[in-house]
Parts: sequence; C-alpha cells; structure tokens
Amino acid sequence: MLFVEFRFFWFFLAVFCVYWSLRDNRSRKIWLLLCSYVFYAAWNWKFLFLLMGSSALDYFVGLMLARTKNPGARRGWLILSLCVNLGTIAFFKYYNFFVSSAAVFLAWLGLPASLHTLNIIIPVGVSFYTFHSMSYTIDVYRGKMRAVTSILDVACFIGFFPQMVAGPIVRAAQFLPQLQSLRKFSNADVRGALVLFLVGFVKKACIADGVAPTVDKYFDSPANYTAASAWLAILFYGIQIYCDFSGYTDMAIACARLLGYELTLNFNFPYLARNVAEFWHRWHISLSSWLRDYLYIPVGGNRGNRWFVARNIMITMLLGGLWHGGAWTFVIWGGLHGLALVVHREWQRRVEGRAPSRPLPGVPGSPDATEDVPPRRGPFGWLAWSLTFYWVCFTWIFFRAADLERAGVIAKSFVFWQSPGTHDLGFRMIWIVVLLGVIHQLNGRRVFSSWWRRGSPEVFAAGYGCAFAVVLLFIPPHYAPFIYFQF
Amino acid sequence: MSVQFLKKLGYGVIALAAFIATSGVIHSLLPPMIPKGIAAKLKFFAEHKDEFDTVIVGTSRLYYSISPELFDQTTRDNGLPTRTFNFGIDGMHPPENFYVLEQILKTKPRKLKWVVLEMGDIQTKWDNILGTQRAVYWHDWPRTALTLKKAFNPRGNANWFIKLTRLWLARRDFISNLALFGKQFANVGRAADFLPSADRERFADAASELGPHGDGYRMAGDAMSPERAAQFEQRLAQEMSEARPKFLDPATEDGYRNSAAQTRQAGAAPFFVVAPVIFQQLPRFRRSPDPAPLVSFNDARKFPQFYDTRVRIDDGHLTNEGAAEFTRLLAQEFARRMRQP
Repeated sequence: MLFVEFRFFWFFLAVFCVYWSLRDNRSRKIWLLLCSYVFYAAWNWKFLFLLMGSSALDYFVGLMLARTKNPGARRGWLILSLCVNLGTIAFFKYYNFFVSSAAVFLAWLGLPASLHTLNIIIPVGVSFYTFHSMSYTIDVYRGKMRAVTSILDVACFIGFFPQMVAGPIVRAAQFLPQLQSLRKFSNADVRGALVLFLVGFVKKACIADGVAPTVDKYFDSPANYTAASAWLAILFYGIQIYCDFSGYTDMAIACARLLGYELTLNFNFPYLARNVAEFWHRWHISLSSWLRDYLYIPVGGNRGNRWFVARNIMITMLLGGLWHGGAWTFVIWGGLHGLALVVHREWQRRVEGRAPSRPLPGVPGSPDATEDVPPRRGPFGWLAWSLTFYWVCFTWIFFRAADLERAGVIAKSFVFWQSPGTHDLGFRMIWIVVLLGVIHQLNGRRVFSSWWRRGSPEVFAAGYGCAFAVVLLFIPPHYAPFIYFQF
Repeated sequence: MSVQFLKKLGYGVIALAAFIATSGVIHSLLPPMIPKGIAAKLKFFAEHKDEFDTVIVGTSRLYYSISPELFDQTTRDNGLPTRTFNFGIDGMHPPENFYVLEQILKTKPRKLKWVVLEMGDIQTKWDNILGTQRAVYWHDWPRTALTLKKAFNPRGNANWFIKLTRLWLARRDFISNLALFGKQFANVGRAADFLPSADRERFADAASELGPHGDGYRMAGDAMSPERAAQFEQRLAQEMSEARPKFLDPATEDGYRNSAAQTRQAGAAPFFVVAPVIFQQLPRFRRSPDPAPLVSFNDARKFPQFYDTRVRIDDGHLTNEGAAEFTRLLAQEFARRMRQP
C-alpha cells in the first residue's frame, strides 16, 4: 500500500476517525498497532512475523538490560540484539552480494568455487525498522533512556506505519515519550499536516513519477544516448530521488502529525548545500545522524589525528553506502561521499585555515544538529554550490546504475561529455530542471512557508479540495513504488 | 458529538465538495480521453462520418473478420446497398463498447442507418490492463454502474443474502471498478494528454489500425497448429454437449437495450451479432420485445463451417478464409432482416 494510492486514503481515513474517537491512550495504541500491521501485511503478511519477532526481542532485551547490572551480561544482551537485527539485514539484503562477491574473489585468486545464491525477497522496510529497533536497545544500554515496560509501546514504536517502511529513522528516546502521553486533537497542526501531505504527494506522484520514465530509459541502455542526454538523465535522477524520498517523508510526517505525533526532520533543501558536509546535514538527516551516533562516534569520531578521523569517515560512509543495498555501486557511492568529506575537511583546515565542520549531523532538534561552520556566501558561495551539486550528481550515477560497467559509461558521458550513442532524450526538457531549481531555491528561503495559514478554515478547506483536484491532473497513470522501499 | 467535532467534519465536507466540484468542472471542460487505437478510428470516422451508413462495433472477433468491402458487396447483391466502416477494437468488450458507440453517435453521422453491435457479457475484471488509460477512459458512471450491477447480481436472481455474499466475494471487482471510476472522474493524469508527444503516440499506428483500405478492417492470421486443433476439438465437443440458450444477465441486457435506444435516437437501426466463438451458449433477452434483431453464429451444429480447425486461429478468431465466409453469411442475414419492415 503506497501513500499515493486511493486505497491508502480510505485506509488512513478509517485509522484517523477511529483513532481520535477512542478516549484512552491504550486503546489508541492497540488500534495503531493493528492498523500498522495491516498496512505492513498489505505487502507480504509472512514478513509480519519478522517485524513482530524483532519488536518482541528488543522489548525483552530492553527489560534484561534494565534488570542486569553486570557490565559483561549487559554487553551480552546488547550483542544478542545487534546480532539478530544486523543478521536479519545481512541475510535478506546481503547474502547474495557476499556470496557472489566471494565467488568472484576466489576466482580471482585462482580458486573457482561454485557458491549458490538464493532467491531471496527483501522484506519491505527491513533496514528501517531494524534501525529503529536497534536505537532502542543501544540507548537503553547506554543509559540514555529507561527500558519500556509495555511491549505495546515498543511494538508501536517499531511498527508505527507512517515511518515503518521508509523512515524517517526515529529514535526511541524521541518517539516513545510521545506514545506514552495521550495526544490531543486540538494540539495537532492539521492544516500544516494537510499542506505537507499535499506537497509530498506532488513531489512523489507528479514530479518523481513524471521524470522516472526518462531516467529509466537512459539508465537501461546509456551507451545508446548522447552526452547531453546523460546530463539530462542524471539531473532528472537527482530530482527523482529527492522528490521520491522527501515526498514520502513529507507524507509520513504529515500522517503522523494528523495522529498527533511528531517525526524527525529528514530533508532540509539538500540541493542548496554549498559543501558536501552541509549536504549530509540536509540529506536523509535521520540516517546520517543515526550513523553518526551509532557508528561514527563509536569507531572514534573526530577524536585522534586526521588520518584516524579520515578512516572513521570512510568506514561510516562505506557502510552507509552498503546500507542502501548489496551492490558495489552503493559501496562506491558511499566511498565517494566519504572521500569528498575527507577532502572538504582538509580544504577547511589548509586553505580556509579554520577548524573542520562535523561531517555528519546530530539528531534533528538537538544542539549539534546544525552545521557549526557556516558555508561561504557571495560569488565563491555560488562556485562552492556548483561544485557540490556537480559532485552529488556525479555520485548519483553509481547510486542508480544497474552495474559498474554501465556506471562507467555514464560517468564518462557526464564528466568528459563523450558518448558513442546517438539517441537523444530531448535536452529541451532541461527547463523542468531549471523550474524546479527555482522553486527549490524559493522554498529554501521560506517564500511559501506560511501564506496558506492566513485564511479562515472554510476557505482553507475549499482551497485544499480544489488544489487536490488540480494536482491529480498532473500525475502519471502508473504509480511507481517508492525508491527507498527497496532499501 | 461536540461542536468542535462537527465543525471539523464540516471542513472535511467543504474540502470534499470543493474537490468534487473542481473535478466536475475540469471534467466537463476537457474533451473525452480516448486512448491509442480507438482514437485513430474515432478521428477517422469523425472526419469521414458522412461517407458511411453502417458501422460495425465489436471486439477483435469482428475487427479481423468483417471486411467492409465484402460485406457491402454482399448486401448490395442482396438488395440492401451499404457503405460500412469496421469499428472493431482489440479486447473491446461490454461495457467499453457501449461507451465507444456513444462516442461514435456523438459525432452525429447524418447518413448512418445501421449499427451492428457485437454481443457479449459485461466484463468486471480488468486486472491485465489495470492502471492503463484503456481501463480508465470509459469508466463514466453509467458504465461503472453496469459493471457494479453485474458484479453484485450476475444472474439477476440474488436475494439480499446472496448480494451481501457477492459484496465480499467480488470485493476486488468493486474496488477496482470504483477506483477506475474515481480516476476517470477526477481526471487523473489528464494533463499528459495535452503534451505534443501524447498525440504523436496516440496516432503512431493509425494507418495500420485503420487497415489497408482505410475502412477499419485488418486481415487475420493463419490457422491453428495441429496440437492446438486437437485441444480445440476436445473443448468444442464439451461446449456442444452443454449447449443451451442462455439469458443475458440484467446488467448486460440493460446495456444493450440502452445502446439500442441511443442508436435509434440517432436515427439508425441496431443489429446484434454473436461471432462464431467456441462458447455454445446462445444469448436471449429476458424481457420482450428484443431491442434489436439478434443473430448468433456461435452454433457449431448450425454453422459447422466456422468450427473446422482449418479456418480457425483460436477459440475466438477465424482465418481469412473463415472470416470471408462469416462476412458473407452475416451480410446476407443482415440484409434479409433489415429489408423486412
């Protein structure tokens, strides 16, 4: 069930009406959990047991961590939780990747081995809900939060349907307190949530799905197309992935807000970034802050000499790339971003003569969430923005390409403007990129942020209905699944 | 219920009303969305509407079978000269054919005298084309209501308990047909129809869809393989053993009666035909009088020449040789029936 499907509207209407008509918090949570499981089962009911198992295990581990004082035993419980959660991801997402890579490596060593891959279906959202789940046990282990005694709360947190399958990756410490207090409809920002939902719907259904056929056409056979087409397709992919993922996030945040819950910020105009560190403070913030807190800092973070910090950044970004899927293209994508972060740190230290900024953000809303070194402004700011945007687009090649061979062909077209192909995608469509760029820029300056709050509720309601009717004119007949569902 | 709750409900109603009103206004301003294949034929017919007095509307069973040239020659030889256009479309089952006929009649062809409409049961499942423009464009309320009626009460004899059971058993049909109606009414994706590329794509294969003579007819393929022929004969024997007259379901009957009335209103006479398909059930109207003459060729005992595997491509289609024979017989029967006062 996708947020842009008709059936989701009916589903959410039922969830919303029943939820607010229930008086006590426990009944509401039971209802939410039931609906979340129905939502998840709409894809594949069999994997529901995996989700339930993950929730039950981490609830139990949380309780054991709270009861046990012995550091060794506590570490043991945490390791159990991490092994099961990471083992689940490793099996479903990486088994075939590891096996095929091992076979290639052994063949390279002159030891050909016949290793069998499995026909594995990846459970939707497995990378997201296991990260939710792990944040709970790790935070309890670290003493950042107390273990929750109600399994209903833990199951609701891990399975909450707006954020379960594609994030944002919510921290237990942020979300569980919200679950434990009765939400009031009068406190819910209904108008803001509805506008956010519409914005997300437009991003996903109109823009991302609108440019997707052009992108698919190019990336399927890049060697057939001209270099201008390569540029267009890569720029379109930049638009597609941003609108697809941030559109999903907007709708997820809006749905949660309509039920009285606040989810974490996930995107903050990433394409306005003027350096790659700023990009990571604006792109998929919930993942980058998760990686920072649970991977980058534990492996050393900013402590130690600059080679050690560079190593930490590379480890984090390579694993962050791998998190997206079992393919070398994702590893390279992460590696390229890691490399850019290291180079940026050295640039700040040597050329700008200042302390390097943090490569990854803290949890949104926390004091260390924002970039501590303000990016450049003025003409150099434009140059910095252009270079950053170019680099981000270059890395998208590896993120999207089906294999390394095709990624090489596309990169050559993009960087050297060389392609053997003669087919043209229609470079005239570049106006779409320009138009959306202008909107992104204006929106980044909060031009559209509040005028819709001014009218009376009746006028807003009528305007909203009209706007939705107009928006539907612009959506393609086919819904494409969200890109991040595969991760 | 608190006043605040009623207020919020009121805002929801306002938003819904605004949505419906805006969609309705846009819907009335936009031209009908006609997909590829049908668009080419409709455009051609609209441009040449006064050249034809007979139009044949149906599925591929008529599209690849009825040659207007041969049909007109036979009717002329039988004392009823015609000038025919074949409006057969692949997979155009009821109620899509009712919608297309309505669009044909809306072009107001001044010389139109006869409409030959293929008979078949209303379809309720569109799984194989779900999400395409082809599934959406004809789902206006009259046609959607027919599919829902068929899904709800397929035999016309359901009591409330059976209807409730049907509501559950056919829930996928209800949901998919209502969603398609919603898409049609809410003009989903219609902006794309106005891109220059949309028109290019829509009329890309117009010449081949209109056939070599520009009369809407396309030649059929070769006869079935011996293995398939054996299966066909086995299945035909089974069908013949179960052959009996079959009353149309109420929704289908309503659809055909309505189309017949629309045809008459446009100044033409309807004529219903069942192509020589493998199914041996001869359709009958429940209520009398019949809305139009009905000729069923799906009778292997009466028309054995159409069930010889050498003239069949598959269960529903005839080779060129079989199609020519079918055209001649249909034209003779048509001329005989239509000459009668």
